[in-house]
Amino acid sequence: MKVFNYSFQTVFKSLWLEKWINLLTILSISIGLSLVTTFIMMSLNMESVLQRWAKNFGMVVYLTETISQEEEDSLKNQLAEDIDIIEVKYISKDTALEELRKTLGANTLIFEGLNENPLPSSFELKLKSDLLSPEIIINKAAKIEKMSGVEEVQYGEKWLSSLYTISKTMKTGSIVIGGAVFIAITFITYSTIKIFFYRRKEEIETLKLLGATRSFIRMPFLLEGLIIGLLGGIISSLAIFSIYSFTSLKVIEFLPSVKLFMTSIPFEIYIAVPLAGTLVSVIGSIIAVGKIRY
Amino acid sequence: MIEFSNVTKYYDKDVVLKDVTFSIEKGELAYITGPSGAGKTTLLKLIYCAEVPDKGQLVVAGSDVNKIKQKEIPYLRRKVGIVFQDFRLLFNKTVYENVALALRIHYMPSKEIKDDVTAVLKEVQLSHKANIYPQHLSGGEQQRVVIARAMVSKPTVLLADEPTGNLDADTSKTIINLFREINARGTTVLIATHNHDLFHGTGRRVFFLKDNQIEKETIG
Ligand SMILES: Nc1ncnc2c1ncn2[C@@H]1O[C@H](COP(=O)(O)OP(=O)(O)OP(=O)(O)O)[C@@H](O)[C@H]1O
Ligand SMILES: [Mg+2]
Repeated sequence: MKVFNYSFQTVFKSLWLEKWINLLTILSISIGLSLVTTFIMMSLNMESVLQRWAKNFGMVVYLTETISQEEEDSLKNQLAEDIDIIEVKYISKDTALEELRKTLGANTLIFEGLNENPLPSSFELKLKSDLLSPEIIINKAAKIEKMSGVEEVQYGEKWLSSLYTISKTMKTGSIVIGGAVFIAITFITYSTIKIFFYRRKEEIETLKLLGATRSFIRMPFLLEGLIIGLLGGIISSLAIFSIYSFTSLKVIEFLPSVKLFMTSIPFEIYIAVPLAGTLVSVIGSIIAVGKIRY
Repeated sequence: MIEFSNVTKYYDKDVVLKDVTFSIEKGELAYITGPSGAGKTTLLKLIYCAEVPDKGQLVVAGSDVNKIKQKEIPYLRRKVGIVFQDFRLLFNKTVYENVALALRIHYMPSKEIKDDVTAVLKEVQLSHKANIYPQHLSGGEQQRVVIARAMVSKPTVLLADEPTGNLDADTSKTIINLFREINARGTTVLIATHNHDLFHGTGRRVFFLKDNQIEKETIG
């Protein structure tokens, strides 16, 4: 503790004397960190929405007009053997027409001119509910579509693939924004600490001449960077927590559907954010102080 | 304690010290004199590694400064107390803090620092100015703060660069007496000055620096 005594005094003096620069730096860091965290959380949310959506997921395999009974049976066996498919239900042409009639009810007039059933027979598939990612579904549909006797596979692919694209874009976005923000935070702390370093240039020269070691000279700057990053991170965590709580309480009241798109923020995030802030800030400070030569 | 052997120092192309050879013994109090610009400050800077010799060998308190590693320099400097010609006081710190700084770099506990700094300020008769900032002190008082800072860590060697430059004859005498006392406690003292009155009649060795060389060595 002896080692830090003087450094701490120096740091607290500097934090107070340069409170505006420090405050600005801390706020910039917390805004940056909040931005990254929001993005990461949004893409995680997207991911979980996709996953939940995929859970109650069904597929309809429409069969060709010319399909033989043999082909139909073998297709049914193949589908039933697939471990991802838990239920295969055969819908014959007649059943399909019957269902359509039921659905349309009174408007049965339009069927009157038909002397042939235009609806194809089909298999309705229920997919295993756990952890079916869009990727698996898309691949599966493509595989089934290639099987003989299959005309078309429908599974809401437009929706799925656009959600999937959005989710992927957000993931890439998080990484890009995350990288950019971390570089920005490094640079912000770097410039702030560099300013302090230059302001104390005279003092540092004198300290060197009196016999101060490198670590003695560096320590106050690294500590200051550490404190700035930590405070920025804590503020960011608090902000995320309040905004999240506010959103879950107020917005859901008016827009219950928002709930579908929100997962809870894992507790680790509130710790990871200050740690990330601290780490990146300290790196900025180390670069700012640079190599000390006597 | 300090041993120059054929030391040559250039600033760019201009030679400041050429083949300087002399040595100061352990426990000695000696003077270096010479006209302004003769290279007195440069010579002291070589001793505390603020400049490196271009040729020759220089050994300070057992360390060869030509071979010293960067990270060893602070430890050498801790053995050397320096009264800078330009003072190098920090104007955002009180007299007390300026002196204490020389001990803080050793990570000395505040309580011990307090004892030592109080004692040394008393010795230079500045106890009553401990909490004043250097810019509110007279030149002579600032000079004494610098001396206090140089001696507070009880260095093996004390280098004083023009330590009476701003002082009247009486105060100069007090200061010189202070150096004598420090020396009597075992510290090797080297004083650079252009003021011949300082060493006149002291019986100490005086090195005359002229035309980039030690022109002569006399007894003051
Ligand atoms: N950093 C430097 N770069 C270039 N030249 C320098 C530097 N420092 C000193 N000099 C030159 O070296 C010569 C010796 O300077 P030095 O300061 O050692 O003299 P001095 O004997 O201490 O003089 P004074 O009695 O005025 O203090 C001078 O001519 C000076 O201009
Ligand atoms: Mg000089």
